[in-house]
Amino acid sequence: MNASMRRMIRDDCSRVLDGGIPGLKALQGGVLLMTGGTGFMGTWVTEMVAYLNDHHGLGLRLMLLSDRASRFGASAPHLAGRRDVQLIECDVLNLVELPPEVNWIIHAAADPDARSHASDPLRTIRLNVRGTDSLLQAASRLGNVRKILYVSSGLVYGTQPPDMANIPESFVGGLDCTVPLQAYAEGKRAAETVCAAYRTQIRLPIVTVRPFAFLGPYQLLDRPWAANNFISESLRGGPIRIQGDGQSVRSYMYPADMALWLLTILAQGPAGAVYNLGSPHGITLIDLARKIVPLFPQPIKIVIRTLGPNAPRASRLVPDTSLAQKTLGLEIKTDLDAAIRLTLQWHHFLHAEKVTA
Amino acid sequence: MPDIRISDPTLRDGNHAVAHQLTAAQIARYAQAAEAAGVPIVEVGHGNGIGASSLQVGLSREDDLTMLRAAREKLSRSALGIHCIPGFATINKDLRPALDAGVDVVRVASHCTEADITQRHIDFVRERGKEAFGVLMMSHMAPVEVLVEQAAKMEAYGAEAVILMDSAGAMLPPDVAQRVGGLTRHLSIPVGFHAHNNLGMAIANSVTAAQAGATILDGTARGFGAGAGNTQLEILVAVLERMGISTGIDLYGILDLGDLAEGELIPAVPTVKSISIVSGLSGVFSAFSKHVDRIAKQYRADPRDVFFELGRRKVVAGQEDLILEVAKQLAERSQTV
Amino acid sequence: MTRSTVDKLRVAILGSGNIGTDLLVKVLRSPHLDCTLFVGRNLSSSGMTKANSLGVPISDKSIDAILQAPDCCELVFDATSAIDHKRHWPLLEELGKLVVDLTPAKVGTMCVPAVNLEQCLDSPNLNMISCGGQTSIPLAHVIGQTQGEVDYIEVVSSIASRSAGPATRINLDEYIETTEMGLRTFSGCARTKVILNLNPAQPCIDMQTTISAQVRQPDLERLAPAVAAMVVKIQQYVPGYQLLVPPMLETNRIVMMVKVQGLGDYLPRYAGNLDIINCAALAAAEAFARHRVCASPTSKRSSHA
Repeated sequence: MNASMRRMIRDDCSRVLDGGIPGLKALQGGVLLMTGGTGFMGTWVTEMVAYLNDHHGLGLRLMLLSDRASRFGASAPHLAGRRDVQLIECDVLNLVELPPEVNWIIHAAADPDARSHASDPLRTIRLNVRGTDSLLQAASRLGNVRKILYVSSGLVYGTQPPDMANIPESFVGGLDCTVPLQAYAEGKRAAETVCAAYRTQIRLPIVTVRPFAFLGPYQLLDRPWAANNFISESLRGGPIRIQGDGQSVRSYMYPADMALWLLTILAQGPAGAVYNLGSPHGITLIDLARKIVPLFPQPIKIVIRTLGPNAPRASRLVPDTSLAQKTLGLEIKTDLDAAIRLTLQWHHFLHAEKVTA
Repeated sequence: MPDIRISDPTLRDGNHAVAHQLTAAQIARYAQAAEAAGVPIVEVGHGNGIGASSLQVGLSREDDLTMLRAAREKLSRSALGIHCIPGFATINKDLRPALDAGVDVVRVASHCTEADITQRHIDFVRERGKEAFGVLMMSHMAPVEVLVEQAAKMEAYGAEAVILMDSAGAMLPPDVAQRVGGLTRHLSIPVGFHAHNNLGMAIANSVTAAQAGATILDGTARGFGAGAGNTQLEILVAVLERMGISTGIDLYGILDLGDLAEGELIPAVPTVKSISIVSGLSGVFSAFSKHVDRIAKQYRADPRDVFFELGRRKVVAGQEDLILEVAKQLAERSQTV
Repeated sequence: MTRSTVDKLRVAILGSGNIGTDLLVKVLRSPHLDCTLFVGRNLSSSGMTKANSLGVPISDKSIDAILQAPDCCELVFDATSAIDHKRHWPLLEELGKLVVDLTPAKVGTMCVPAVNLEQCLDSPNLNMISCGGQTSIPLAHVIGQTQGEVDYIEVVSSIASRSAGPATRINLDEYIETTEMGLRTFSGCARTKVILNLNPAQPCIDMQTTISAQVRQPDLERLAPAVAAMVVKIQQYVPGYQLLVPPMLETNRIVMMVKVQGLGDYLPRYAGNLDIINCAALAAAEAFARHRVCASPTSKRSSHA
């Protein structure tokens, strides 16, 4: 993590926070515990909170709970070493007690890697369902918990209907519960029900977000998502290989926006509410590839592998974010072009650091 | 882009037919001619893939890297492919050196119900920026629902296509239509099919696969391959052309390739012998036949009985050691009778 | 009780999964060992529930449970994971504990009870190599001892698909390379190869292993009785170990086949591959126990008080 990379993230935080932080006032002086705290989402929330503490006097203490907390020092030393950040090494499945001073919780502990879902659907389901139950059981004995934000997934909707441009939170959707590869989506859905039960029976104040896809710094390129694949293939000189006709539509949110949205929804979202978290601006995979390729000095080929005639139709996965935008005043401050540019800048810095190391 | 992408394992599956004794010179000759004919993928190596040279399935004459380099030198537009079975091949000993030698396409294969053993190997290939396919072997041994689940795992690992192999040549066209159709309806990556000719169905099965949505088909010159051999590539290209399905392969080029293979690689052009019909009916891996022949003779057992017993025990590819046990048991049984 | 606990070696088991729990049942049957602590990370796991129901003290504090009560045991079985064992070992070493390591961490001395048990007693950390290793290494060793120049040894195992969990599947390469190394060490042969097949047939197959070798001058007359004797030795601690095909010559190689059926203590019987490594670990611990009792019988009594 060199100075350029740290400055880049600070600039991102500054840019999305431009316009002040009235929505976050409630967090002042609080203690926020985040499960999955050292992952992609956790790292960005930590960066945002660090910026808010340093430049806006938010005074929010962070506790990052993770089963690999000890590695955070290596991956983000500038954050791990902060006085307002405490690391707790714990697997959420084994969680019994939470520190009594915690009054805000973001429950993001999950493994979104589709490879793990395929090889270990049992662990995937347990982590989502039992892990959420363990966490909420521990939270139910806290003296002063103000809000709990459960990080679900946009996958709980199942397949987006072809005539629906953007999925609203009210769409109930459907998953085929006999398909083990749906273990992650089903686990997240069942965990939402667990949250609803804790909310109504134990009166815990729980709000839910359903994240879609993100593109930005701190994201590991080896994760098998389209945008990551395209970028890592381009970094290697290409070609970019697209399966099918490239007409599938996805959307990508920049993580600085994501972090601000998460904190705002935590602070302002009423218990029982559900918000989509992502970009409402869809793009076909082929167009995404075409945006990425010109940003590289050397020519990169795009290869399309056609599928047969009865292959599944091009799919669409794009959220409707008007609920968060209208009721919480949230905005998308980073467009896709900027997101791609910044991501490539990040990987450029990362590569340079590896080379000089 | 052609409608069907042909993958040619003459220099790999064919190796089964000659007990893995193909020479570097033969490999170079064929590869050169395959390149000239416009064959998209040329697959090279021991019949059971990289790292498989062993007493269990046969020692190859040339080591993996020699074979790969001989082909690599001759291929520029055509891609160099390998077959790779985790459990036989490890990343450190076999896969990394193969990729270093310039392999373009790695087909990572497992028994059709064990796709999760391919995760690390597929991942490694994708990390290196090369093309990774998943392969489900002996796919007649699982129903379509299971195959769809297993193929979906491979897709989750980053496989860029899944190939169904009828390794025993046990399928009939309706079996193929059902399985390939199931996969093409559920996967967002191309589906391929690899046929064997034990029941004389290789071409029919391959055509059925194409009609069910497969966009990758395997074929070998003169059907050179394990047991009764594979889909005969020259016929396949010709038939597809007649059906208006493009392969990007030059007809005369592929006919010449077949002639060259017959002249220089293939000691005996594959025919469907009795033992092959039996191995197809019993659903046992085609490549067992040479071993069964040898060991059955030693024990004076009927090789056909050996095959049916192996089929009853549902042996999978790689379990050639069981042939010895079965032959011995049958011999003992007939002695006591 | 037929035997005072004074004579028993006190052991702790780290790792409350299926392997650790199956090992616990074996330890409870042993006249030489006393399980004083069964340690995991989650009190509600089925292994913990089983241990508790058997009256064994349990803890969810992982390695801390032993660090906080260092006098609880003399020997620790580590059935966690390679990464965890690498963390545990320095801490246990400092406490002067004997360790039997069932993970692939490869930190300590490789131990195959039928071959080098006596030599292992000098080492504080014994590594059980792998299931295929415990099955085949004794026979590879016999080949090395009786056949003069051994060019190549190959081991092929088939196991029930159901006996291979996610950890086995993601670590196939490590299993192969570790077992090959074990074969080289104990046979003296420089070139070894290990192959693993998973078979989904139902009913589940028992573990079956074929050992083949290429040697300059095969000597079956020496080999056959030596193999038979070694099989008997293995059966002392692995009752389900069976010679299926005695050594024979086939084309250009020596071949023999063995089958391992598990005891069914906690793991199912068909998981002979998992059972054999537990049996081997138990044999190693019992050897430590007997060795210690022989060494200083009087001092034991005072340490118990």
